[in-house]
Amino acid sequence: MNNAPKPNIEDLPTPTQLRRSTIIASLMAVAIGVMVYLPAEYGTDPTGVGSILGLTEMGEIKQQLAAEAAADEALHGNDDSSSLMNDIFGLFVGAAHAQEAWQDEITFTLAPGASTEIKATMEEGATMNYAWVARGGRINFDLHAHADGEEVTYDRGRGQTSGDGSFQTPFAGDHGWFWRNRDDADITVILQLRGDYSEIVRSE
Amino acid sequence: MLIAFATSAYAHAVTPGDAGYIQEIFGVHIISFIYLGAKHMITGYDHILFLLGVVFFLYHMKDVAIYVSIFAVGHSVTMIAGVWFGWGINAYIIDAIIGLSVVYKALDNLGLYQKWLGFQPNTKAATLIFGLFHGTGLASKILDYQLSEDGLLANLLAFNVGVEVGQLLALFVILIVMGYWRRTPNFMRQASVANIIVVGLGLLLTYQQIAGYIAST
Repeated sequence: MNNAPKPNIEDLPTPTQLRRSTIIASLMAVAIGVMVYLPAEYGTDPTGVGSILGLTEMGEIKQQLAAEAAADEALHGNDDSSSLMNDIFGLFVGAAHAQEAWQDEITFTLAPGASTEIKATMEEGATMNYAWVARGGRINFDLHAHADGEEVTYDRGRGQTSGDGSFQTPFAGDHGWFWRNRDDADITVILQLRGDYSEIVRSE
Repeated sequence: MLIAFATSAYAHAVTPGDAGYIQEIFGVHIISFIYLGAKHMITGYDHILFLLGVVFFLYHMKDVAIYVSIFAVGHSVTMIAGVWFGWGINAYIIDAIIGLSVVYKALDNLGLYQKWLGFQPNTKAATLIFGLFHGTGLASKILDYQLSEDGLLANLLAFNVGVEVGQLLALFVILIVMGYWRRTPNFMRQASVANIIVVGLGLLLTYQQIAGYIAST
């Protein structure tokens, strides 16, 4: 009932060869576990090899994201905060607005790996115009809001050095940016705002 | 280098895990993507099951090398092209086909095509064709990861190298286990039972994907 003849015993690997292969495989498994898997998943690098390979950074980012996801969970309960399927309302407005005066200019600096959130408290249907530039590196951002189980993502990007546009709020709450420096040098961002907001909220 | 993180409760959509990591980085990260490719292959039991079916009755190193290379060529072509041209095929459908590839190969190992059809379908062609489907499945998953355009080609090629590395690591273990097993006196009888079990597992994988597809529509 098989599609092959019985193998000739002399064609097969000998017990000695198999034993040797097993030992090599076991040693490789341990080495990969300690030097590759642990750094890449948990950010722990007992041998230092993970950092040389650049895998420790991956593990640190994963751990950081896991901690943030857990914190989000605690804060908002189970509101599907990891869903990427948010409505995107990002409507870019041309440079026509750039000539008008800005209400606020916020400058902040982030070290590699650091993040901050800058949001504006706004009513439903309010409009915000913005422009920003990053100096010293390329930054990741997530322009969004959520309040009372509602959420919206206006725009998100990574490795950007500037942006401008406007958005209109579908619900009342704090609307704005989560910024994170995933580059390898300090980044200074200058953010300019104009719109119908009552205050700027910043959380480290 | 990242040192320590003060985690405050930000309220923005966080995607944890591999996908979250990939969505935050940009630029060329060769070793990271080799790692992710290898991890994807080693933890992708549908790929491993198919590979097990392919090498089940192969014990000459030359034959193993030929068939594994054919499979590698097949899945590399569709994985790279699929991501590059953005051929997003519904993951449930492609994974159901991958489940069927496991069933096909196990039935082939049982010699049932000769019994049912009266001839042996070309095993190399089957390995290549299913390799193409496995690559399409990999491409669909990579597209879900939303790789940055910045460094895409280099990272994609690195991921593909990683998939081959993972395949070789898995193959190494499979061949050692098969080597011990083939030397036992009841191997041929147990081989039939094992391939019947693999048919069952393949059908289970296919069923899960079809059920998932129906639930998602």
